[in-house]
Amino acid sequence: MSNRLCILIAEPSFLIREGLKTLLSNQGQPYRLEEFDAPVDDLDKLINRINPDLVLLNPKLVVRLVSLPRYSDNNFEPYYIGLFEPGTPPHIQSKFDQMIWLDAEKSELNKVMEKVLKHLRNGLSEPENNSLSERELSILKLVALGHTNNEIADKLFISAHTVMTHRKNITRKLGIKTVSGLTVYAILNQLIKIEEIQGAD
Amino acid sequence: MHIHKDLKMAEVIHMNHHLLPVLNRFDIYLGFGERTVEAVCIDHKVNVDFFLEIVNTFHDSSYFPLRHLQSFKASMLIDYLHKTHAYYLDVKIPEIGRYISEIAQTSDFEEIHRKLLKDFFNQYQHELTNHINKEEQGVYPYVLRLEKALESEDANAETIKELQQYSIIEYEKDHDDVEAKLFDLKNILIKYLPPVHNNKLLNLIVHEIFELERDLNNHGHIEDLILVPIVENMEKELLSRHPKRHSNV
Ligand SMILES: [Fe+2]
Ligand SMILES: [Fe+2]
Repeated sequence: MSNRLCILIAEPSFLIREGLKTLLSNQGQPYRLEEFDAPVDDLDKLINRINPDLVLLNPKLVVRLVSLPRYSDNNFEPYYIGLFEPGTPPHIQSKFDQMIWLDAEKSELNKVMEKVLKHLRNGLSEPENNSLSERELSILKLVALGHTNNEIADKLFISAHTVMTHRKNITRKLGIKTVSGLTVYAILNQLIKIEEIQGAD
Repeated sequence: MHIHKDLKMAEVIHMNHHLLPVLNRFDIYLGFGERTVEAVCIDHKVNVDFFLEIVNTFHDSSYFPLRHLQSFKASMLIDYLHKTHAYYLDVKIPEIGRYISEIAQTSDFEEIHRKLLKDFFNQYQHELTNHINKEEQGVYPYVLRLEKALESEDANAETIKELQQYSIIEYEKDHDDVEAKLFDLKNILIKYLPPVHNNKLLNLIVHEIFELERDLNNHGHIEDLILVPIVENMEKELLSRHPKRHSNV
């Protein structure tokens, strides 16, 4: 993962896009930008392809907005900011991590942007601690041994969703996405023994 | 900068030499002299617009025609994709496989490390081969049948029936990502295997994997973002000519 933020703006109005770009550059953070102004048929596809860290999206542009693409095997989860026009219904609002009302004061917008970028920067500026936590280690072992998310959830008395979150963090920390990759990692680091593996995958 | 028809082909390679294998898929090889992209394409009976679309998507991954879809003949695309498959299976994978067995024989890796590396790569090879075979035997021939049906006045009844039961969207839905294991292999080599003496071969392997990953990425994007929309249009067109019969009629 590069340390430059990738930001996707999907908004029909040219003026608003320009305004957002000015806001972004005021924050003094280098970023790569992708812009869209046309209706998006397939949001999943778009997110998958661009793999952005931050998405500024006017929900009006999405043809059928059912849910926002979250975790997938290959991508890290983007942070979604809704660009809302007055009257955006609550069930749409609640899908987003953060919202910007397009009729808000500029100072208001600046505050939101500052907060969001800070949050993202913390996530990006790696070298912090890449080592796995105890919990992550035990989950990694179980994954490497061939257990499914549900089995792991049962064993550790946590929800499958929590297992997913841990797995996502493991992948981000190690740079390894697949089960067989994690197995190799676990053997190399003597977390498990080759003989322990039940069948091949 | 985008590649356009009036550039010299030699300049294109200076700009981005990773394009060489892509050119080879059009049966275009080195020795361009001063000829332009257009001239070289004409010499080789290659559709210039199609060529430009392909090299540009490869050259700049943000070039993808998400909004304005090109209306190329599907068979042209299939031909290109097919040659790309052949390049992976006949050239790249065996090449990397050779390096890996060489390193397994000559390096001072411990036995277990050799085994892990070889097994992992074999698994990958298997996975990629399956993915490709599935496409070569399933979706590609389907697309060619559609094209044939569109070109002939009275389409083959079986093709129409097939179309009423199947759609390219199904391919799209379970079209999986074949780069994930490669991504992992890269990190295993770069970060997790212990250092060894004859490092040069490892450098080479890592380099080859980066190249292959980039190529596969582009290939997958062409399938998802160019082939699928084109086929969707073909399906719509054919269905409008042969509307679905309602089951309760
Ligand atoms: Fe393919
Ligand atoms: Fe594919």
